[in-house]
Amino acid sequence: MEDNSTAPKILVVEDEKLLLNAIGKKLTNSGYAPILCQSAQKALDYLASTKTLPNAIWLDYYLGDMNGVDFMNELRKNDGWSSIPLIVVSNSASEQKRQAMLSMGAKKYLLKAQYRLEDIVKELAEMIGV
Amino acid sequence: MPNLLDPQTKQALLEANRRLQEERAQISTTLESIGDAVLSMNQNGYIVYVNPRVEEITGFTKKDLIGKFFNHAFHMVDERGMEVPIKHRPIRNAFYHKKRVTSNRYFYLKKNGSKFPVSVTATPVLLYDQIIGAVNVFRDITREYEIDKMKTEFISLASHQLRTPLSAMKWFSEILLEGDAGQLTQEQKEMVENIYKSNERMIELVNTLLNISRIESGRIIIDPKPTDIRKLVDEVILELQPRLKGKRQNLAISVHHELPLVNIDPKLIRHVYMNLLTNAIKYSPDGGEITIIISKSGNEIISQITDTGYGIPEDQQERVFQKFFRARNVVKKETDGTGLGLYLTYAIVQSSGGKIWYQSKENAGTTFWFVLPITGSIAREGEVSIDS
Repeated sequence: MEDNSTAPKILVVEDEKLLLNAIGKKLTNSGYAPILCQSAQKALDYLASTKTLPNAIWLDYYLGDMNGVDFMNELRKNDGWSSIPLIVVSNSASEQKRQAMLSMGAKKYLLKAQYRLEDIVKELAEMIGV
Repeated sequence: MPNLLDPQTKQALLEANRRLQEERAQISTTLESIGDAVLSMNQNGYIVYVNPRVEEITGFTKKDLIGKFFNHAFHMVDERGMEVPIKHRPIRNAFYHKKRVTSNRYFYLKKNGSKFPVSVTATPVLLYDQIIGAVNVFRDITREYEIDKMKTEFISLASHQLRTPLSAMKWFSEILLEGDAGQLTQEQKEMVENIYKSNERMIELVNTLLNISRIESGRIIIDPKPTDIRKLVDEVILELQPRLKGKRQNLAISVHHELPLVNIDPKLIRHVYMNLLTNAIKYSPDGGEITIIISKSGNEIISQITDTGYGIPEDQQERVFQKFFRARNVVKKETDGTGLGLYLTYAIVQSSGGKIWYQSKENAGTTFWFVLPITGSIAREGEVSIDS
């Protein structure tokens, strides 16, 4: 999965395959290099194995193997990982979840069905400054 | 003591007494046989009668209750077990407002300390317009409460599940429309646009269903903040500009010049303005007039939204705030509608401590009024917010 291009790397963690495909396509067409992971564990394995950390993380809240809070806790165990800008894109955005994720360092919490991919990509670009 | 009554009067009194005894036996058997708990109290709020259902439902015996002050004998609590403030208790309000009060929002505590959801009807007993007591009829609605909770949870779960395929449809049709998967012909583009728009309608429907299930379950957060209502309404109008322009409708607004900041939940109240204005636009023909007047009267902020639209048929007007209701004269003109908007609006206004009502004439137009107390809404620590 290692990518040597200069395009900003975005780690996408989304357990719905169809959505992952759509996100991957949009990011590629927008000039990013997406790394697509269908589970939290795959994403953590990728982080542990890569030499160059991604520029940002696009995270769904409910994943097959853990939820967003657990994933953030895993990221916190590594200083390098926890400083990667992270955006949550979920279909469940209760105030509790939103607050929990924002207080743990997520930059934004977006409701999936309310956003066009293009708008999320814009948010992402703003977040990482590219 | 000499008998001063003549035989005729004596006979009449005996008969009257007999009739009273008969009536008493009738009423007493009726009260003891019915399935609802019935409890009555004197004008000072002291319990004077309880039927056997009261004992069965609450575990208190007649002896525990008779002669006790009602509010000391019965503890009314909310879902979290917090004592309900006295001003929200049906029996107090029946005495205070001299009218029948019903409630099915709260719980009573049984003798063993456990709580049960209760449906209460409190009625003052009036004689020559003087309160001589009150009757409290209640029943345990645990089963209805559980079914309602299951229904709400089902809607919430189903709606969340629906959002995933809806997101997939939204994003893939977006990719097609953007040409990210190759250029489409004009006809193909129009077709995909139709898919996109229909999907957006479905997303909106799911959002509304979720909002309703949140508000009905009482889990919604009410987070009042000092709010500039003028600013809030201006933002809503700005968002609706494309629709107003599209139908060449004119919107006039007049706001009281010294409107104070009001302590309301801006997210919730925004919904109310958005819904009433969207309806005014949608259900008025091209070139219609819409007027918003926001005024202050006593301790209330009154918002009035008037349109020159299709109106609501007179025989259907009482159903306006019912779930899924759509008036017969608009279903053909505007197929896009769920019949949930006004139901949600009504629920929001109620839970914000306000009131909403309307006047309408078919083919002439409709005016909605809603009032909010200047003192603002009462905060509620819920679990979910609207639109999440």
